[in-house]
Amino acid sequence: MLSSPTVKASLIFLAIALVCLAFADIAITSANPWKDLGRFFLGVVTPDFFSSEGVAVALLRTVAFAFVGVALGSLCGFILALVYRNPVVRVFCAFIRAIHELFWALIFLQFFGFHPLTGVLAIAIPYSGIFAKVYSEILDETDPTPGRLLPPGTGVISTFLYTRIPACWVQLRTYTAYRLECGLRSSAILGFVGLPTLGFFLETSFSQGLYSEAGAMLILFYVLIATMPIWVKPKLLPVYILGAPFFLGEGLPIVWGNVERFFTEDIVPSPLKNGEGLAGLVPWLNDLMVTEALPGIWNTLLLTQIALVATGILALLAFPLISNHFGGPVRRTGGHVFLVITRSTPEYILAYILLQLWGPSMLPAIVALALHNGGIIGHLIGRQSSGIQLRPDAPIGFNRYTYELVPRVYRSFLAFLFYRWEIIMRETAILGILGIYTLGFYVDSSIQNIQFDRAMVLIVITALLNIGVDILGRYIRKKLALQTMPTC
Amino acid sequence: MSGFDLTGLSASFAGERVIGPLSLSVKQGERVALVGRSGAGKSTLISLIHQQVGRESSLVPQDLGLVNALPVFHNIFMGKLDAHATWYNTLTLIRPFSRDRTEVRTLLQELSMREKIWVPTASLSGGQRQRVAIARALFRQSSLLLADEPVSALDGPMAHLVMDLLRKRFSTGVIALHDVELALKYCTRIVGIQDGQIALDEASDRLNPADITPLY
Amino acid sequence: MAINLIRKLAAAGILFFASSAAVSAQTLVFTAIPDEDETKLVERFRGIADYLEEKLEVDVRYIPVKSYAAAVSAFRNNQVQLAWFGGLSGVQARSLVPGSQAIAQGVEDQAFNSYIIAHKSTGLEENEKLTEAVRGKTFTFGSKGSTSGRLIPEYYIREAFNQAPEEVFSRVGFSGNHTRTLRLVEAGTYELGAINYSVWTKELEDGNIDTDAVKVIYTTPSYPNYQWSIRGDVNERFGEGFMDRVKQALLDMEDKELLESFPRSGFIPVSNDAYTPIEMVGKQIGIID
Repeated sequence: MLSSPTVKASLIFLAIALVCLAFADIAITSANPWKDLGRFFLGVVTPDFFSSEGVAVALLRTVAFAFVGVALGSLCGFILALVYRNPVVRVFCAFIRAIHELFWALIFLQFFGFHPLTGVLAIAIPYSGIFAKVYSEILDETDPTPGRLLPPGTGVISTFLYTRIPACWVQLRTYTAYRLECGLRSSAILGFVGLPTLGFFLETSFSQGLYSEAGAMLILFYVLIATMPIWVKPKLLPVYILGAPFFLGEGLPIVWGNVERFFTEDIVPSPLKNGEGLAGLVPWLNDLMVTEALPGIWNTLLLTQIALVATGILALLAFPLISNHFGGPVRRTGGHVFLVITRSTPEYILAYILLQLWGPSMLPAIVALALHNGGIIGHLIGRQSSGIQLRPDAPIGFNRYTYELVPRVYRSFLAFLFYRWEIIMRETAILGILGIYTLGFYVDSSIQNIQFDRAMVLIVITALLNIGVDILGRYIRKKLALQTMPTC
Repeated sequence: MSGFDLTGLSASFAGERVIGPLSLSVKQGERVALVGRSGAGKSTLISLIHQQVGRESSLVPQDLGLVNALPVFHNIFMGKLDAHATWYNTLTLIRPFSRDRTEVRTLLQELSMREKIWVPTASLSGGQRQRVAIARALFRQSSLLLADEPVSALDGPMAHLVMDLLRKRFSTGVIALHDVELALKYCTRIVGIQDGQIALDEASDRLNPADITPLY
Repeated sequence: MAINLIRKLAAAGILFFASSAAVSAQTLVFTAIPDEDETKLVERFRGIADYLEEKLEVDVRYIPVKSYAAAVSAFRNNQVQLAWFGGLSGVQARSLVPGSQAIAQGVEDQAFNSYIIAHKSTGLEENEKLTEAVRGKTFTFGSKGSTSGRLIPEYYIREAFNQAPEEVFSRVGFSGNHTRTLRLVEAGTYELGAINYSVWTKELEDGNIDTDAVKVIYTTPSYPNYQWSIRGDVNERFGEGFMDRVKQALLDMEDKELLESFPRSGFIPVSNDAYTPIEMVGKQIGIID
């Protein structure tokens, strides 16, 4: 068993995580973590739906930003997917998707301010990069034979529309719908930096300990996501997309001079701005690397590796909850509810909640990342395991789990996990905004100090780190011959 | 218990009766060959019997039910999962005990695929996979064998070797076979199934191949 | 299918930009640094908006923001023209907007203090100096951009120990605002915290502090703090003399309830120069370039 490459890879990652754990700060610093957690859960079960008049508007805005952002992102992503072969386009897409929505929002806030465009672009830009990649993968997988059988002289566009699009239309649609759900989550957390979506009100209620209010908002958000199949219908989509821009709120007007200033002054490294030239740039960069970038990278890597393994463990523990091969319908329903909640709650919100309750260390972040990502992977492999036909005399209970199911789903489990590696790292960086010393912490500090030049360098470093992990993840998946599915 | 006496066996699929109602009584020491045209209901009958006698038997289903991602050893060891504590099984998954290793290796030796013990089942040929499923049943060491076309993918000499092994290791058995010659040679009793009913039930030494042909 | 979608999206895009252009040019928008619980701030500044609207005879709108930097950026980007800043955020904002002026500060802001507070489990007592006894404890500032919750306490910590806070304390956090610092230290999540004295005093008067759990152990020397800052170009936009009218309106504020919500006993004139000490400290610590 130990000689199997997948097992070996898993053990190596486990060992790395254990070493990281030795270096990580995982203390619970709050004096009464369980009392606070208890109060929070009490709040969730006694939700107060009528406390704040803003909640209904916030939900509406959340949906509106998601629709406009995802629609724009999918349109641009589709166009980019057509030219995705071009290496320049590839690198460009990898770069824009390596920067988290919240970072994009923080950037746009500096020159568009509280204009709806800030929120729309913060979603649309990284989503374009993701859509471009996945759409092109889907398009590439279509059977080329029908295209070859067309009469000679058929135009490129007709060939494309007749042979490629119909063959993968369902996949494109499914993936876009899945992304819309992600868009709702992204839209909600944009509120944490001041846009008028759910996160704005959630942060307000939560930071003041108004748990019943916060609980009500969370419940409404779950209901919104869980009922998506009911209210998102293909026929209604044009209505939503056309209507959504009207519900983004007014915000404040854009002053275009700010845009120019941002690009020509704000992000120019201060030694260059002050005329110190390249001689001043080296010490400036050096200082930035030593005091901020390196500690940030170190903590980001540490947290990512621990969270990755924790995610894996949680997914393996959670998938039997919804598997057909275990438990009755009651337990399975319970499992489904649990997994829907964990995967619908953005990591950022989970981390925010746990951080408030347990105090600041890596622990809340690890738990939040593991719960969210473990919930997603657990759901996917749980569903897959339900499709497995067992022999009639298959063992039951724990033996069934270890001998029949885990070996069968393990490869796709690893594929999902390595696929989410980059996503986990992107989230890890952003959780720094909440006060964990990952790269996001230093980005946020630079922005708080109005030093956008530093912030931009740090954001670029974060993006490069993500691209690196993405490449490594793809290499490992290829090495282990794990097939990857884009719908994760 | 290794013999059984079952009555009122019947099964329907999509509202259509596939087999039964019929009764089948097998005494200890009997090896019953189920013969008949494909679709006659042999597989259904085997699984009906398995449902009734359950854990007392060793089953070789037609689709084998192997876990492709696991090596041969573990697939065979799975035949005895219920005989061990969970911790033992889990530990075996990581590092098998030498006792089990020896036992499995001996079994594989008899099936002439000893060298395949640590190979993932996914990389085996059809015949080898079938032998792994048989080894799993043998490893289980119950006295009653329920097998559905256990040698369909094996060539002549190998089929005889396996059938001989099954005869030696299981005192009692119900084996679905389409090969009439094998059935007459290795079984003590022939039960012919036609349209879901028992059309023939006779000791094999009183039959010759020509008696069975009408069933096909 | 695709063509249809494109057409719909194009239409949506046009509507989107059209809808966003309709904000009145004659609205004075102001903000404030989010240094306390948002509910309190919204209540306080809606009252201020109503007051100014009546005095200035233009529409006045308050927008809440989520961070100190967002308040500074909004001021810099001319999305707000007036802001209630802390010492540091005011210096940052005014250095980014040429011509902008500090026009009024609270009476109490001339000589402001920060407190270092401690959870009872530390056993620390009030002292005139920061002593070695605080070393190795956990510590939280307020917001990263706060004067009273970060800048000044950090300055005196560095002065006392000749080390950065991260080296003095076992764990350094940023709670976000003063109310949260108070709650975190009260709950023992952090053993020590830096808080604005005025928030502490008000919460104490309102009976919102469990004095058995948390106490003040150190008071910083005094320094100038909060002020109203206004952009230099408001006169062009709202008419000659507008800046002075805003200033006068703030100085004339007598409504007890409004003043109490800050809490300040009244507003007095101030100039940019009053904040030079803050700027110096900011440069020393490296928060200001």
